[in-house]
Amino acid sequence: MAIVNGEKTAARSAPLTETSFIGWLHKNLFSSWINAILTVVSIYIIYVAVKGIWVWGVEEAVWVAENRRECFKISKDGACWAGVIQWLENIFYGRYPRPELWRVNLGGLLLVVWMAPLWLPRVKNKIFIGLSTVFLYPFLAGYLFAGGDKGIFMQVVVSGAIICLIGNTLHTIIGVFSGGGLPENLTRLLGKTDASDQNQRNTLLAILAAAFVVVFLLQMGWTVEVVPWTKWGGMFLTLVISGIGITSALPGGIILALGRRSRLPVIRVLSTSFIELFRSVPLITILFMATTMFPLFMPEGFVLNKLVQVTIAVCLFSACYMAETVRAGLQAIPMGQYEAAHTIGLGYWGTMGLVVMPQALKHMIPNIVGSFIGLLKDTTLVSIIGLFDILGMLRSISQDVPWRGLHKEPLLFGALLFFIICFIMSKYSRHLEVKLSAGANR
Amino acid sequence: MTTTEAQETQSQLASAASTEVIIELNQVNKWYGQFHVLKDIDLVVHKGERIVVCGPSGSGKSTLIRCINRLEETQQGDIIVDGMTLDKNLKNIDQIRSEVGMVFQSFNLFPHLSILENLTLGPIWVRKIPKVEARQLAMEYLERVKIPEQADKYPGQLSGGQQQRVAIARSLCMKPKIMLFDEPTSALDPEMIKEVLDVMVELADTGMTMIVVTHEMGFAKTIADRVIFMDEGEIVEQNEPHEFFNNPQSDRTQLFLSQILSH
Ligand SMILES: Nc1ncnc2c1ncn2[C@@H]1O[C@H](COP(=O)(O)OP(=O)(O)OP(=O)(O)O)[C@@H](O)[C@H]1O
Ligand SMILES: [Mg+2]
Repeated sequence: MAIVNGEKTAARSAPLTETSFIGWLHKNLFSSWINAILTVVSIYIIYVAVKGIWVWGVEEAVWVAENRRECFKISKDGACWAGVIQWLENIFYGRYPRPELWRVNLGGLLLVVWMAPLWLPRVKNKIFIGLSTVFLYPFLAGYLFAGGDKGIFMQVVVSGAIICLIGNTLHTIIGVFSGGGLPENLTRLLGKTDASDQNQRNTLLAILAAAFVVVFLLQMGWTVEVVPWTKWGGMFLTLVISGIGITSALPGGIILALGRRSRLPVIRVLSTSFIELFRSVPLITILFMATTMFPLFMPEGFVLNKLVQVTIAVCLFSACYMAETVRAGLQAIPMGQYEAAHTIGLGYWGTMGLVVMPQALKHMIPNIVGSFIGLLKDTTLVSIIGLFDILGMLRSISQDVPWRGLHKEPLLFGALLFFIICFIMSKYSRHLEVKLSAGANR
Repeated sequence: MTTTEAQETQSQLASAASTEVIIELNQVNKWYGQFHVLKDIDLVVHKGERIVVCGPSGSGKSTLIRCINRLEETQQGDIIVDGMTLDKNLKNIDQIRSEVGMVFQSFNLFPHLSILENLTLGPIWVRKIPKVEARQLAMEYLERVKIPEQADKYPGQLSGGQQQRVAIARSLCMKPKIMLFDEPTSALDPEMIKEVLDVMVELADTGMTMIVVTHEMGFAKTIADRVIFMDEGEIVEQNEPHEFFNNPQSDRTQLFLSQILSH
C-alpha cells in the first residue's frame, strides 16, 4: 500500500528559542543552574574591571597639566595622560628635528599614495605597482628621511622613483575613471594608435627617457638637510625597521625555502643551516651580535652605523622565520600540481611562480600576517641596544624631570597603539583569506 | 625475439597509421630502489597510432607512460621522442614536455585559476602566444570538449567529467604531437565516463598519436590500433584489438582478460 501525503505543508516560522533575544539568552547563557551562576559571576567580574579602568583612565584622569605633581594635585587616583600628550611628538618621531618633521609625514603620505592603487578597482598592472613600491619607494623615502648629499646612484634612483610615482598616480587616475591605462592613453594622445607595436613601444620609451632627463635635472637642485640616524626615533623608527623587515622577509623567505627544498645538496645544506641557525637564537641575541660582530666582517675603515646593522639583523631573522612558513605552505601543494605544470612545458621557475607559489601563498596568508605582527612587536627589542624606538621613547618619559616616575600611562598608551595596528592587520588578513578563497572553493 | 624483429612486428601492427616513428623505447629498465618496475621495455609508436595499455594494478603502466615525458627518470635504455633523446639535458626536456600532452586520473587542474586561465597558461608562458590569441585558442578547444559556457568558472565548481574534459583541452591547447592518458576515467562516476570517452574518440578521429592506459575495454576495441598488455613490469603481449581480445596468446593475458571480462 502506498503512503501518500496529499496536503502541502505550509512554512512556519522558527521556534522562539531560535530567533528572539530572550530565547538566545536562555539557550546560550542560562541553559542550566550552573550556567546561570557562571554567567552572573562573569558579568560581575567584567563590570568591576571595566568600571575600574573607566574611572581611572577616563573619569578621574587628568588631560592637561604641566608636570606630574600637578596631575596629583588635580586628581589623586586618576591617570595622568597629560604627560603622554605632551610627549606625543616624541613618541611618534623621536628626536627628529621639529622643523624637518614634514619629511617624515611626506614619506608616509607618499607610501599611501603609492600603495593605494593596489586596493582600487579597475586599476591595471597592479603587479608592477606592487614591485615598484618594494624596489623604488624605499630609496625615495630613505633620502627624504636621511637627507644630505645625493651620490650619483641616489640621484638616479630618486629620479626613477619620482617618475614612477607620477606615472603610477596618472595611471591610477585614468584607470579609476576610464578603466584604461597610462600607456594606451599616451599613444592615443599622440595619435599613434594605428602604429606598429614596435613603433608604439619606442615612442613610449622616448617619452620615458625625456621624463627621466627632466626629472633628473630638476632633482639635482633639490637637497634636504642631513638628519643623522641617532635623531630618528619613536613610532617612526619602529615602522622603518619593521617595514624593511617585512618587505624583505617574503622574498628572502621564499628564496631560503626554495633553497631548502633544492635538489642541489650544497644549496640545500647552506639554506638549511642558515635557517636553523637564525631560528635557534633569540632575536635579542642576534641584535647584540649584529652590533658587535658585523664590524668584524667588514673591511677596515668601513663603518656601518648601528641602525643599518640592526636592520640587517632584523631582515635576516624575519626571512628565516618566513622561510619556514613558506616551506609549510609549499608542502600543502600536491605533487600532481607540479606534474601538471611540467606536462604543459613549464620549467622550474614557471611551475613555482605561476602554479605552486600562488596557491601556497594563499594557504600561508594567516601565518604570514601573523609573523608580520610578531615582527612589528619584536622590533621594540631594539630599544634594549640603545635605539630610541617607540618603546625607548615611552620609557624615557619617566626619566624626564617633570614626569619622573610616570610609567603606567605611557606603556598603556603604547599597548593601545600596538593593539590598534595589529588588530587591523589581523582583521585585514581574515578579510583577504575570505576574499581569496571565494574565487576557488575546492 | 630480437629487437629488430620486434620492431618489424610492431610496424606491421601499425598498418593503419603512418610508418613515421614518433616514440621509440630501446631496452628501457627502471628501478625504484631495489624494485625493478620496468624490465627491458621495447616499444615503437608510429605517428597517428592509437595504443591502449592494460594490465593488472601495479604492473608498471603508469610508470611506463610517465617515462615518455620524463616525469620519471629511467636508469637504462634510450627513449627517443619525436627525434629527441631524453637525457639529463633540461632544455630538451621542457621542449619534449610541451609536445607531449598528458591527462591524469585526478585531473590536476590548477584550482587557483579559472578554466580559461588554466587553458591559456601554457600557450602564453611556454609558447609565448599573445593573450588574445591564446584566449581564442582556448575557447576553440573548450568548444571541442563541449563546455565553452564554463570558461569563467573555477575547477572546484565543475563536475568530475567536466574537469577531465577541461584537462584534455588544457593539454590540447599546447598543440601536442602526442597525448598520454593515465586512466582518465577511473576517478569518474559511470554517467560521466561516457562524456570523457566521447571526447577521446573524437580526438582519435583527428589522427592524434595517443597512448591510453585504461580498463575501458569497449573503448579499446573501438579506437585502438594496438593493445599492449603489461604484467610485472614487462610487455607480455601486444596485438591489434580484435585478435587481442578474441585470441590471446599468453596464459597471463588469458587470465587477465577472463578476470576483467567475467562481469
Ligand atoms: N615512487 C615510487 N616509489 C616506489 N615504488 C613505486 C613508486 N611509484 C610506483 N611504485 C611501484 O611501482 C609499481 C608500478 O607502479 P605503477 O603506478 O606504474 O602501476 P600501474 O600499472 O599504473 O598500476 P595501477 O593500475 O594501480 O595504476 C607498483 O608496484 C608501485 O608500488
Ligand atoms: Mg597507474
